[in-house]
Amino acid sequence: MTKILTGGVGKVEVTKAIGGLGIDSLDIVQSSDMDAAMKLRAGQADYFLGTCHTGAGASLGVLVGLMGSAACHTFGRSVPSEEEVGTLLTAGKKVFGFSMDQIDVIAPLLARSIAARG
Amino acid sequence: MSTTLAAGAGLDFTLAQQLTVIALCALTALISHMALAVFNDGVRPFLLDFVQGRTTRSATTAVSFGLSAGFIFGLGAPMALSTGVLNPWLVFLPTDILGMLAPKKWIAPILGAAWGAVVVFGLNGANDAAHDLPVDFLTAMQQMSTPILFLFTLFPVLAITKQFGRRWGGIAGALEVALVVTTMKLWPNMFAGALAMAAGVLLLIGLAVSKDLRQRRADRAAGTAEPVLADDDPMMSLFSASAARLRRFLPLFMVLGAGVCVLAQMHIFGGGEATSFLIAKGHYSEAAQVDFYRVFGFIPLIATTALASGAYGIAGFTLVYPIGYLMPNPWLAAVVGALVFAAEVLALTWIGKVLGRLPSVRDSSEHLRSAIGDTLQLAILFGSLMAANAMGGGLGILLVGGLYLLNESMGRPVVRMAAAPAAVIVGGVLLNVLYWLDLFTPVKG
Repeated sequence: MTKILTGGVGKVEVTKAIGGLGIDSLDIVQSSDMDAAMKLRAGQADYFLGTCHTGAGASLGVLVGLMGSAACHTFGRSVPSEEEVGTLLTAGKKVFGFSMDQIDVIAPLLARSIAARG
Repeated sequence: MSTTLAAGAGLDFTLAQQLTVIALCALTALISHMALAVFNDGVRPFLLDFVQGRTTRSATTAVSFGLSAGFIFGLGAPMALSTGVLNPWLVFLPTDILGMLAPKKWIAPILGAAWGAVVVFGLNGANDAAHDLPVDFLTAMQQMSTPILFLFTLFPVLAITKQFGRRWGGIAGALEVALVVTTMKLWPNMFAGALAMAAGVLLLIGLAVSKDLRQRRADRAAGTAEPVLADDDPMMSLFSASAARLRRFLPLFMVLGAGVCVLAQMHIFGGGEATSFLIAKGHYSEAAQVDFYRVFGFIPLIATTALASGAYGIAGFTLVYPIGYLMPNPWLAAVVGALVFAAEVLALTWIGKVLGRLPSVRDSSEHLRSAIGDTLQLAILFGSLMAANAMGGGLGILLVGGLYLLNESMGRPVVRMAAAPAAVIVGGVLLNVLYWLDLFTPVKG
């Protein structure tokens, strides 16, 4: 079971978008940046998806500080391809930030890629 | 009474106001250059890497530009042009970028001051020129004020519904609408949403605090340890290092606080999305209320990003906006603004610890910001279509609505919130071109 935490202004929507995909191997839970930082470090969760208006994930704030920028990635305003997401996951990214008006595209893409990796 | 709060456009600044804007822009650019504070909450997290030398100035500038450009051109500029009142997106986001861009410390304030000059002189010219066009799209944009002000009133209701469910949402909605109706009936000169918004925000905070307190009691009764941030926790040590960095520059932050508060006191600046329209109409106490309630959506965000990155907000917790609007004179505003910033910076560590113990309150602030976005999205889209109708009738709606839909179908290269006002400006230019080609007769109004 892969545990994904959501945070930021669009966390309700991200949780719904991914929960609605019906992927059994994913456990998607609403959280916040500070809780997520603690849980990721303690190994109680695997990924964090943060959302805000700009896509930088102001919600990434605490996570960039605590997890280091190597574990974090923001899509900003861009919509990534499946390959890009795959490359990022292989590179060990665990924290993703994206813009809340792109939740409907990016959240399912991330969820499927994460699930595909088992 | 009129429920339409059309703004009086016209950017006529006095010399003192012009100098204040220019000097403040120089200061904010310098502070951004030193990575001590930026306005864009999304940029702040990236400053930690810059401060610790893991990334370059040019890379950080690129991040800052990428995250701010849409808000400057899509939100800041159209709002300033249509209300005649400056706003933080137009004034502070460019100085975030310019300060970071400056290769040397002394260049930053020069670039900042230059931007300040562009704002106070250039905007005035653009404003005059646009008003003289056959199709005056700036006057048309004032149509946006009514939907923004009235829908914004409901943002606490949406936040309550998202966090505490339909029942509380319904109660809050009924309460707010009743208060709006009451206000319109009994105090026709007051902004109709003022009381409703106050009640909504207080209800949300009350619900969140009581939930956290109940949870803590339950945890204690069950003997489960509360998740407290220990002082040797890596998060706490990062937080205290950041707070210490900010405290070292306390005098500079006090000057910044004074400057922002004076700008607000001059009533040429509105801090929030709905505020510029209220300031333009001279409704200062209402503007202060709106910006005060908005603060609750941002304190946790600004505090945690500041503590995590070691960089503060250019407007701090934005408390200096409402305080500034209400100050009787600039001198008092400067003193109070400096003191407020000092208190904020000194209280940061404590605020971080308190927030660590109040998860529902932090949750509320995220729901508030999300709700602010939702209400504004509808209000701005609807207001933009009203503006399109005012300037070009059906053809105007076709152009503006069409550009908005085109942006949607292209995967939103322009941030959704900014797409509609940007479409009004493009649509307005197109209508003027059509007029010159003798293909369009302006709507009389």
